[in-house]
Amino acid sequence: MTITESKKEKDLGFFVRNQSIVVPIVAIFVAFVLGGILISLQGVNPLVAYRAIFSEAWFDSDGLLRTFQKTTPLVLAGLAVTVALRIGLFNIGAQGQLISAALASALAGIYITNLPPILHVIVSLVCGVVVGALWAAIAGLLKAYRGVHEVISTIMLNSIAVGILDYLVSNPFREPDQSLQRTKKIAESAILPNFGVIPFGFILAILVCLLVSWMLNRTTAGFRFNTVGKNKFAASYAGINMKLMIVTGMLLSGGLAGLGGAIETLGITYRFEPAFNSGLGFDGITIALLARSNPLATIPAAILVGTLRAGGASLQFNTGIEPEIVDVLLAITLLLVSAPILAKFLFKGKAQKTANVTSGWGS
Amino acid sequence: MKRMRTLAGISILALVLAACSSGTTDTAAETTAAALDDSNCAAAESFCVGLVTDIGKVDDKSFNQSAWEGAQAAAAEVGGFAKYIETTDTKDYAANMKQFTDKSYDVIVTVGFLMAEASVAAAKENPNTKFIGVDQFQAEEVANLTGLIFPEDQAGYAAGYLAGLLTKTNKLGQVLGLEIAPVQKFAKGFEAGATAANAAVKVTTVYHPPADNGFGDPVWGAAEAKKQLSQGADIIFGAGGGTGNGALIEIAKAEGAGTSIFCIGVDTDQWGTVPEAQPCLVTSAMKGLVEGTSDLVKAAFDGSIKGGNFNGTTGLADYHDLAAAVSADIQAKVAEIVAGLKDGSIMTGVTL
Repeated sequence: MTITESKKEKDLGFFVRNQSIVVPIVAIFVAFVLGGILISLQGVNPLVAYRAIFSEAWFDSDGLLRTFQKTTPLVLAGLAVTVALRIGLFNIGAQGQLISAALASALAGIYITNLPPILHVIVSLVCGVVVGALWAAIAGLLKAYRGVHEVISTIMLNSIAVGILDYLVSNPFREPDQSLQRTKKIAESAILPNFGVIPFGFILAILVCLLVSWMLNRTTAGFRFNTVGKNKFAASYAGINMKLMIVTGMLLSGGLAGLGGAIETLGITYRFEPAFNSGLGFDGITIALLARSNPLATIPAAILVGTLRAGGASLQFNTGIEPEIVDVLLAITLLLVSAPILAKFLFKGKAQKTANVTSGWGS
Repeated sequence: MKRMRTLAGISILALVLAACSSGTTDTAAETTAAALDDSNCAAAESFCVGLVTDIGKVDDKSFNQSAWEGAQAAAAEVGGFAKYIETTDTKDYAANMKQFTDKSYDVIVTVGFLMAEASVAAAKENPNTKFIGVDQFQAEEVANLTGLIFPEDQAGYAAGYLAGLLTKTNKLGQVLGLEIAPVQKFAKGFEAGATAANAAVKVTTVYHPPADNGFGDPVWGAAEAKKQLSQGADIIFGAGGGTGNGALIEIAKAEGAGTSIFCIGVDTDQWGTVPEAQPCLVTSAMKGLVEGTSDLVKAAFDGSIKGGNFNGTTGLADYHDLAAAVSADIQAKVAEIVAGLKDGSIMTGVTL
C-alpha cells in the first residue's frame, strides 16, 4: 500500500510541483469539452465550431491582426490586476483606470500639436499611464490612510470615471457637428503603427510584461511586493512601509491598466468613444486569475481570451452559434481555476491552497 | 491517478459524443426557407443577403429583429439565402462585414446608425457589393450604399399628440436609448406633438448615457421609468431597443396601468413583440423597418436600387385591447393628425 502510494506520488510529482500550470490547462480543456457539449446540443459539430474560431483568429491575416489587437489591452489589464494581487490588493478598478487613460491619451493625441511623430506617441502614452496611475492612486491613498477597502473604492471609482468621462465627451471635448458622443480623431503623428499583422502596442505590452516579471522576481522592490503579499504583518514588522507599498502598488497597477487604454486609443480606435474599451478591465481580472498572479502567464491567458473574442464572428458566420459561447467557455475555465475543486480533484491532499487573491477583507 | 483516469474518460466520452453529432449539420446558421447555402454566392444566379447587427441581438423584439425579418422575407421571396452576424464589440463592425464580403455576398444589410461610418468604408472598399444601411443618413452619395431612413419625427409627433390628449397629470415621460439622430427625431417629434395637443403638458426626457449597452439596458430603462412615474408622469414613451422595453415592462407593472397609466412602444407594434407590456401599451410609434428593408433587398435583387437615401414609412400601431381607454373623440383627432402628417398638411417642425 505504502509502496504504491509513494510510487503514485512519484508519477504525479511533476504535475503536483507544476500544478499552477497544470490546473489552468486542464481547466481550459474541461471548459472546451463542456462547451463542446453545449455546441453539439445546438446541432453543430464542436470541432467544426472550434476550427471556425481558430482558423479565423490565427490563420487569416486580418484575423491574426485582430487577435493581437484584442490581446494587447488584455495583457496589460491582466498585468495590472496581477501586480496588485502580488501585494494582496484586489484591483477591481482596472476598467476605470483604463478608460480614463484612454480619454487622456486621446486628448493628448488631439490637442498637442507640432510634435514629431515618435515623440507625440510617447507623450500621449505617458499621459494615459499617468492618468491611469493617478486614478488608481486615489484608491491606494484611501486604503493606506483611511482603511477603505480597495474592492469597494475601486468599484465606486469605476462608476465615477464613467460619469466624468460621459460628461467630458458629451460636452467640452465632443467632436463638433457629431451626433455621437465622442472626441475628434487623434493626429496622424500620435498613431501607433502596425508591423504587418503585429501591432506595435502588442510588442510594447510583451516588453512591459517581461519588465514587470523581472521587477517582481529579481529586484528588491519586487521582494518587498512579494513579502507584503505573503504576510503583511511580518512585512510591516520587518520594516517595510506598508502605506508606501499600498500607494505605489496601486500607482503601478493603475499605470499598467492605463497603458492598456492608451495603446487601445492610439493603436486601434484613434479616438475616444465610451462604447469602446467596454469590459477590458474586467477581462483583466479573468486573465490575472487564470494566470494565477504570474506576470508572464498573463500573456498566454490574454492570447486565449483574445483569440476566442477575435474568432467569435467567424463562429457565428460558419456555424450559427452565438458568439456568447465564448464567454461561457471563459466562465467555466475561471470557475475551475479559481475555485479549488479541480486542484483538489486532481491532486487531493497535495493541492495548493487557492491562488492568493487577497490577503483578507476589512483590513 | 484514478482521478486522472476518470477525468480522461469523461473527456473522451464527450469528444466521441461530439464527433457523433457531426453528421447532423455542419453549417446550421439561420437559413431561409430556400434550400440554398452560401457556398456559391459569387455565382450570378445565386443571391446571398448578409446582415450585421449593431450591438444587439436579432431577437431584440424591436429594431434588429425587424430588419432581419425584412431581409429574410425578401431573400425567401426571390429564392435567395440570408444569414446574420451579431456584433458584440463596436470595434468589430468592419470584421463582421468582411465575413460576408469574403464570401461574395450580393447584399449586406448593416443595421443601425452607429454603423454608418463603417458601412461607408466597407461600401467604398467593395464596389460590387450592395450595402443597405438601416437608419444611416447618407450625406454624400456612395453608388452602392443605400441609407434606409425614416421620418421618425412624424411617428413621434402622432404618439405625442395622443399622449397630450390622454394625460391627466399633464406630465409625460420619455425613456430613450442613445442620443443619436433617429432617437432624437422620435423624442423631439413626441415633444412637439404633445405640446401641439396640450399646451400645458410637460415632457421629461432622458437618454441613456453613452455606452455600448445604450440599446440593451432594460435595468436602466426600468429604473428611469419608475423615477418618472414617481414624479407624476402618467404616459411614458419607451424608445430604445431593450432599454425601452425595460421601461415598458416596468410601467406595465405599475398600479393603474391601462386605466390611468399608459406606455407607448417604438419601432414595431410592441403589443406583439413585448407581450409583458400589454397592460399599459396604448400604441407604438412604428417604423416600417420590415417593409423598408425588404423593399430595398428586393430592389437590390432586380437591380433597381440606387445609392443615397431611401425614405421608409412610419405610423402608429393599433390600440388593441386598450382602445376602450381612448375615447372615440381622441381616436378621431389622432387619426386626423396621422392623415395630416402623411399628406404633408401638418409639419412636425423638428430639426436636428
